[in-house]
Amino acid sequence: MRFALSREQLDFSRSIGALLAEADTPGVIRAWGSGKHETGLALWQRLADLGVTALAVPERHGGLGADAVDLVVALDALGYHAVPGPVTESVATVPALLGECGEIDQAASWLPALASGASIATLAASPEAPYALDADIADIRLCVSEGVLYEFDRPSDAPLSSVDVSRRLFAVDSLQRDEVAAVMLAIHRTLPVATLATAAQLLGAGRRLLEESVDYAKQRFQYGKAIGQYQAIKHMLADIATQLELARPLLFGAAVAIDAASPHASRDVSAARVATADAAYQAARAALQVHGAIGYTAEHDIGLWLTRVRALTSAWGTQATHRSRVLGELASSAGRAS
Amino acid sequence: MTNIVVLVKQVPDTYSERKLTETDHTLDRESADAVLDEINERAVEEALKIKEAGEGEVTVLCVGPDRATDAIRKALSMGADKAVHVSDEALHGSDLVATSRVIAAAIGKLDSVDLVIAGNEASDGRGGAVPAVVAELLGLPQLTHAHHLAVEGSTVKVDRETADEGITHLEANLPALVSVTEKINEPRYPSFKGIMAAKKKPVETYTVADLGIDAGEVGLTNAWSAVQSASPKPPRQAGERVEDDGEGGTKIAEYLVGQKLV
Repeated sequence: MRFALSREQLDFSRSIGALLAEADTPGVIRAWGSGKHETGLALWQRLADLGVTALAVPERHGGLGADAVDLVVALDALGYHAVPGPVTESVATVPALLGECGEIDQAASWLPALASGASIATLAASPEAPYALDADIADIRLCVSEGVLYEFDRPSDAPLSSVDVSRRLFAVDSLQRDEVAAVMLAIHRTLPVATLATAAQLLGAGRRLLEESVDYAKQRFQYGKAIGQYQAIKHMLADIATQLELARPLLFGAAVAIDAASPHASRDVSAARVATADAAYQAARAALQVHGAIGYTAEHDIGLWLTRVRALTSAWGTQATHRSRVLGELASSAGRAS
Repeated sequence: MTNIVVLVKQVPDTYSERKLTETDHTLDRESADAVLDEINERAVEEALKIKEAGEGEVTVLCVGPDRATDAIRKALSMGADKAVHVSDEALHGSDLVATSRVIAAAIGKLDSVDLVIAGNEASDGRGGAVPAVVAELLGLPQLTHAHHLAVEGSTVKVDRETADEGITHLEANLPALVSVTEKINEPRYPSFKGIMAAKKKPVETYTVADLGIDAGEVGLTNAWSAVQSASPKPPRQAGERVEDDGEGGTKIAEYLVGQKLV
């Protein structure tokens, strides 16, 4: 069995990377955070043209019906460039949820619109995701409560504040809503996809933080040498590189488990999420150390990744949630074995 | 139905260090990342636009070593329909005349070619003569340095832009050859669908013998010019440093006047 990514997956990753590298994502992120969505929506459309938004949509609904590994390849690239917007929800989770629901009337109009980039979806599902991201611009606004899927009205209030200013979160409880379908089982099956999507973006963001830090450590001179020549910096960055590199196979292994409908998929995904979030968070802390004072400034782009990692670390379940999920599944399988 | 052939070349990435091999002073292709030359991406984009506006088929033609399949795959994943790859050890070190003859012979193998599109020059050799030589060998009108291209019925119209002559408007009957500049368009990025579809597209491979060319007419030993020696570019001289002791502005102004820049 071949575990490396296929030539096509590598080509796709390069294609997304090339588009985003020229898209000034820091500028797009800042505008998005201040409620100016034009450049961000244009970027979403360009990503849709590459097929990113169609990956998780079944072919019969105008999508690509790609597998979870393809999705991870794409979302890792989006995380690397910190693309703003409801990426986890619109690109991965809502298509997966609608796919799990079987035939509900709205799916036939929502899914092709998501695939083409004509629509953007958001989803809140307590307790993992209590607030709806970007509910002011999403035109498919969904929430799951007590196993029932609702479509809710566009919020008119200002967003709640998030540690990541580009994450515009909205409380949904007080909004008018209409029932769509009962999704008790479907949401249970969909949570691993949301977790996987978050983990993939965390790995990408972590890789970016490491690369930026390595570059900066070569440029910044102190006491006559590049700071990267000092062991304190060198070893710190080498540790981060190791941690990210060890998280990567867990992430792709979890994607393979989802594709194979493995009974351990949920456990594997949560384990990968814990590892990628730990690695990305350590990368963020190291990046702030390496950059020193300039890393704290709002003007420097590194801060956009620092706050994104912090926010994603508790999106779709905190580290504690995922650790207890891993523990719970290990304990129950040990119980079955004895 | 417009049959378009796009000439593409795999070149060392301009971001990586490019050098010549020490043994025979040919391009060291192994030491640098190889990519589809950016100007060729624009040539492919232009061909795809013509195809999408009407009907047509886009064939990419590449002369290069085996690893050039990566560059061909990129062109196919952008949306070209099929490819021709001329790969032969004997071609190593060929000059642009020999290369052009091979390209012309490979184009001759294709049925009814209406339009050949090339980049105006490759970012490695930068001779910029291959498109003109190919046109001459095939007896096609050559419309080079195009920054705008339009196919109308059986004619092709081109705005030719060069630094020396400004803009000239050219028109020719098809079949014709056009070379494009980097101003012509912004190439698309390959989509997931395009990348997957490229796997199944036909790539025909030829040797020089298949094209009816004698191996004794190509290659380094038969090139009309030879590189005798090569040395790396000397490091840039340190600039003049002006310490600002209150007179900095004046000194900069004097420097600029001295250089006849203001």
